[in-house]
Amino acid sequence: MIVQAVLVGLIGALGCLDYQLGTLYMFRPIVMCPLVGLALGDLQTGLAVGASLELLFMGSISIGAYVPPNETIGGVLACAFAISLGEGTEAAIALAMPIAVLSLAIGNLLQPIWPFFVDKADAFAKKGDLRGIYALHWGIGLWGCVEYFLLCGGAFLLGVDAVQGILDWIPSFILDGFGVAANLLPAMGFAMLGRLVITKKLVPFYFLGFLLCSYMGVPVLGVAILAIIIGIEKFDLINMNTGAQMALEGDDDDDF
Amino acid sequence: MTSDAMNLGATGATVEDDGKITHRDLVKSALGVGSLGMEFSWTYYKQMNIAFCLMIANMLKKIYRDDPEGYKAALERHLAFFNITVQFAPFVGGVAISMEERVARGEIDPESVNDVKAALMGPLSGIGDSIFLATIRVIAAAVGIALCQAGNPFGPIAFLLIYNVPGFWLRVWGVQKGYDLGVDFLAKTQENGLMTKVMTAVSIVGVMVVGAMSVDMFWASIPIEIGVGENVQTVQDILDGIMPGMLGMAAFWLYYWLLSKKISPSWLIVGSMLLGVVGVYFGFLA
Repeated sequence: MIVQAVLVGLIGALGCLDYQLGTLYMFRPIVMCPLVGLALGDLQTGLAVGASLELLFMGSISIGAYVPPNETIGGVLACAFAISLGEGTEAAIALAMPIAVLSLAIGNLLQPIWPFFVDKADAFAKKGDLRGIYALHWGIGLWGCVEYFLLCGGAFLLGVDAVQGILDWIPSFILDGFGVAANLLPAMGFAMLGRLVITKKLVPFYFLGFLLCSYMGVPVLGVAILAIIIGIEKFDLINMNTGAQMALEGDDDDDF
Repeated sequence: MTSDAMNLGATGATVEDDGKITHRDLVKSALGVGSLGMEFSWTYYKQMNIAFCLMIANMLKKIYRDDPEGYKAALERHLAFFNITVQFAPFVGGVAISMEERVARGEIDPESVNDVKAALMGPLSGIGDSIFLATIRVIAAAVGIALCQAGNPFGPIAFLLIYNVPGFWLRVWGVQKGYDLGVDFLAKTQENGLMTKVMTAVSIVGVMVVGAMSVDMFWASIPIEIGVGENVQTVQDILDGIMPGMLGMAAFWLYYWLLSKKISPSWLIVGSMLLGVVGVYFGFLA
């Protein structure tokens, strides 16, 4: 049990360390849950839970001033509980969002102390002390990893019985209702992405993408490639003058 | 890496440590602790300031190798608030370094470096979030989720590769590009309207992908039965017969409208959970 809790904690910490590895998005449920599955000896459930939770948290990304629920801790713990209690994706879905919201709140508790450390960096700069600035960077970041380790490992260690109790106590229609909500919420995630990219002029392209997929069954990747061709063609991006040419190639390639 | 960037890198690279920034310096910074750790020491307060300073610190040391006071001032300057889509950070680092060289020669005002950085944050984050978060990430997730649902352990790996290969390419290409274009970049791209065009083209991709994903993203169904005996059909069957994915689209625009009314996502999550429970209890949602 202890070994399992440590493993679960380490996976959570790896999720936080991802912010030092280039924000690879390794911290997402689609990567975290299969790892939890691997650690707890049930890769298949890990994969299934990862797929469901990734959809649930599709919109759980930081846009504007919105800081989303913590999908890393929510994903790791929900998956770990589901596997160790022998439950399936339904239970994981019901658990993930409440845990993620709670983890966000816990993470925010410490935020008020950081300005003190961040301002220390200025003092180090004044002395030309680059090592001091590195120390702050690693200090702030690794503290995050410790926090994730303790939250994931600790909650798993203490929580299995409690979570079993809660799951037994909650009437089944509520659990099913949370499951349904989890299936509605990806629409909210996409609406948040939509708020980021849709303007009045672009609304027809939303429907073009929708109809291509709905009636013609074109997969998402196919729609994306078609969209790239439309974008290049519409703005005549191939025949730009030379100065702009190079800047352009980059942006086009990125879309692939 | 394009051949252009290689050539430019080669011409920019003169011998040894004469204080000139080489292609190698730039690439090293784009793949260094600061650049990759943009969000590691992130705080609400100054966000990516520490990581940005670390990203370019070694090049600052080189530029100001005969001027310790200038070096200290530069370090402090680059500890100002910073935030951007992480894959674009090296590009801004390149711009900042080409400007710092001019600051060191006394050609431009030190303040202007942070002004340009601040001016780049908005537009580049707009493009960056549309490209990486709203488009590539969604495609990567769609492919990864499909594989995971089929029980294929390659799912997470495919997700990571699809999302990160373009990102790392952009970091390495962007740092050199930013350095070469320097401060002229903004002027140039705004002059020929390139920024607006690329932004719109990228947004078309994002919008179409979001539209396509709307078809499959809504998994709930309406099990209310209509008709009698042989002809019994659920409302869901009827809707699917008219237009598959119709409910997903309706839900998308409903949430879109609620968000535009400034209702916070947290309340929408709570509301959705209530709706789910009520819907299951009375049997109109499953």
